[in-house]
Amino acid sequence: MKHRPTRFAALLLAALLLLGITGCGGGAADSESIRLMVWSASEDQAKDSGEWLQTCCAAFAAQHPEWNLTFVYGVADEATAASTVSQDPEASADVFLYANDNLTVLTDAKALAKIGGKYADEVRSFTSEALVDSVTLDGYLYGVPFTTNTWYMYYDKRVFSEEDVQSLDAMLEKGVVSFPFTNSWYLPAFYFGNGCTLFGDGTQEELGADFGGENAVEVTDFLVDLIGNPNFVVDADGSGMAGLRDGSISAIFTGSWDSASIKEILGDNMGVAALPTYSLNGQEKQMYAYAGSKAVGVNSRSENMVAAVELAVYLGSAEAQRLHYDLRSVIPSNTELMEAEDIAADPVVIAQNDTFDRTSKLQPFVSKMSNCWTPVENMGKAIRNGSTTHDNAAEQTVSMNDAMNSDGIS
Amino acid sequence: MKPKSAKQTKLVNNIIVHVVLAVLAAVWVFPVLWVIMTSFRAEKGSYVSTFFPKAFTLDNYAKLFTDTTLLNFPKMFMNTLIIAVCSCLLSTFLLLSVSYCLSRMRFRMRKPYMNMAMILGLFPGFMSMIAVYFILKAVGLTEGSLIRVALILCYSGGAAIGFQVAKGFFDTTPYAIDEAAMLDGCTRWQIFTKITLPLSKPIVIYTVLTSFIGPWVDFIFAKVICRANADQYTVAIGLWRMLEKEYIDNWYTCFAAGAVLISIPIALLFLKLQKYYVNGTSGAVKG
Repeated sequence: MKHRPTRFAALLLAALLLLGITGCGGGAADSESIRLMVWSASEDQAKDSGEWLQTCCAAFAAQHPEWNLTFVYGVADEATAASTVSQDPEASADVFLYANDNLTVLTDAKALAKIGGKYADEVRSFTSEALVDSVTLDGYLYGVPFTTNTWYMYYDKRVFSEEDVQSLDAMLEKGVVSFPFTNSWYLPAFYFGNGCTLFGDGTQEELGADFGGENAVEVTDFLVDLIGNPNFVVDADGSGMAGLRDGSISAIFTGSWDSASIKEILGDNMGVAALPTYSLNGQEKQMYAYAGSKAVGVNSRSENMVAAVELAVYLGSAEAQRLHYDLRSVIPSNTELMEAEDIAADPVVIAQNDTFDRTSKLQPFVSKMSNCWTPVENMGKAIRNGSTTHDNAAEQTVSMNDAMNSDGIS
Repeated sequence: MKPKSAKQTKLVNNIIVHVVLAVLAAVWVFPVLWVIMTSFRAEKGSYVSTFFPKAFTLDNYAKLFTDTTLLNFPKMFMNTLIIAVCSCLLSTFLLLSVSYCLSRMRFRMRKPYMNMAMILGLFPGFMSMIAVYFILKAVGLTEGSLIRVALILCYSGGAAIGFQVAKGFFDTTPYAIDEAAMLDGCTRWQIFTKITLPLSKPIVIYTVLTSFIGPWVDFIFAKVICRANADQYTVAIGLWRMLEKEYIDNWYTCFAAGAVLISIPIALLFLKLQKYYVNGTSGAVKG
């Protein structure tokens, strides 16, 4: 009598376990039919923007009559895919799009398949080397890059000439420029310009951040002056876009995701250009943006690896990139496609590629990079608030550098 | 100098009190008012330089319900409503039953259970989030429309832990009433439904309200369990997505409109049930 509750509990537990096991192992796959789960941003799947993903997958299925393919679509945009996939790789998509700054998040979770052999050769054949490097870790290729991801400058052609936009100083004399000063994805542009580096060439984790030397102090001093310029406005919480809309601002720094809105505001007067130079102690210094890429990744736990890799390569191919550009203005990266007449003439494409080639640094994706964001953001805020001045610039710059090189919360 | 009359002093005091109250009220209402005005704002974008919109429109609301290919707000609204209503019913039933048992019956595990619930209640629910996700996955509830079931289970599963307020309320009902009912031949269930519950309307209402609002506004569990299943998104996830950098410029005013819309059911519930809500913590039997 006394043992009854325990026995009952044990039985219940056993029943639950059984339920769990059957829940996991159900549905053995037919040898011919293949089920692929594919994740991308919701714009890729929306009817209004042409259902890029569905169209591409249908075309892929038509190319492969040997497989009976069924696709399951899910929504995860490039920026968040990595965290969603690494939460539970087993229950994630076979093929997904991700931004390369999350590469280590995915590889740490062992969620990303290496692409090798003929597939790697194929990817290298249509992708520039810099772009291939952006998804390569320890010599292994981890995805099929399909677009570059960086920021540059949009300006009003009525205010600035093509010559003006070469130099920030010339621009500040003629009109109001807004810059996301308190955003650490943008602010390092000035520091890179004066020779500061992050992790050596971006992959040498042991070298750490070099944002504390004499050259960095010069930049901090320059930024203190810059913030005092009445024609220089801090862009935060969408104020730059609002200023562009009401005409109080004539140039902003952002990426391709805002190009449709800016086109709507400025129309034919929209100018796009790579980053300008700024003059520091009489010398012209080039600003450098962080650059990355977006790539198609394959889940290392995929049960149909061949089909998944083939689909990934197809989604990164010239054909799919062309469609992506036509439907959603996603800027292609395929070297041949870039020579197509209409693409080569698109000012946004020109500016983005020019930025990627000439005025950008590959955004490091070493794990320690995650320590670098907050100190830089705080520096931007301190300069804006006036708590960093010429008097304490050296000290503040060094403490920013210390924080960037520290793992702890201090 | 003539001393101030009592009337004058009272007037001065009243003025001071009312000015302070007016200022506090303005501060308190300000964000709400701002969201409502933003939801009717015709200018696009997330940043404006004026407090009052330059032009008003209903388009933001129209867009929420017509522009559904990117972010399907009506669907999210329905998902949330279904989940909230089901978990509200389920957790109200669980919570009231547990409270009644603990208040009226004496059994061996009563004290240990109450202590355990007390201690478990000290931990925030999202601590178990990842474990809950993997358990739900093992049972096969993390795909397709079963996600709704998973979320309902999540929100109502812990209801029996929060019995304290309701049990305290039931304790104030004299046991003599139960005994009288028993003498007349009532079963426990009949006493619970026919006598205790009608006497405890305030606490029933209070429980319904709190267990509806929980799932209605929850973000963190929904985010972890829905993952890439966009057709199962709840309103909270949808609103959060509207503020992502790709959407914010086009969707910011719609975000405000959505925020106004989701506050309507809660506001209605509160207005309707306000008098009970206020009575919720006082005694049961009057007169």
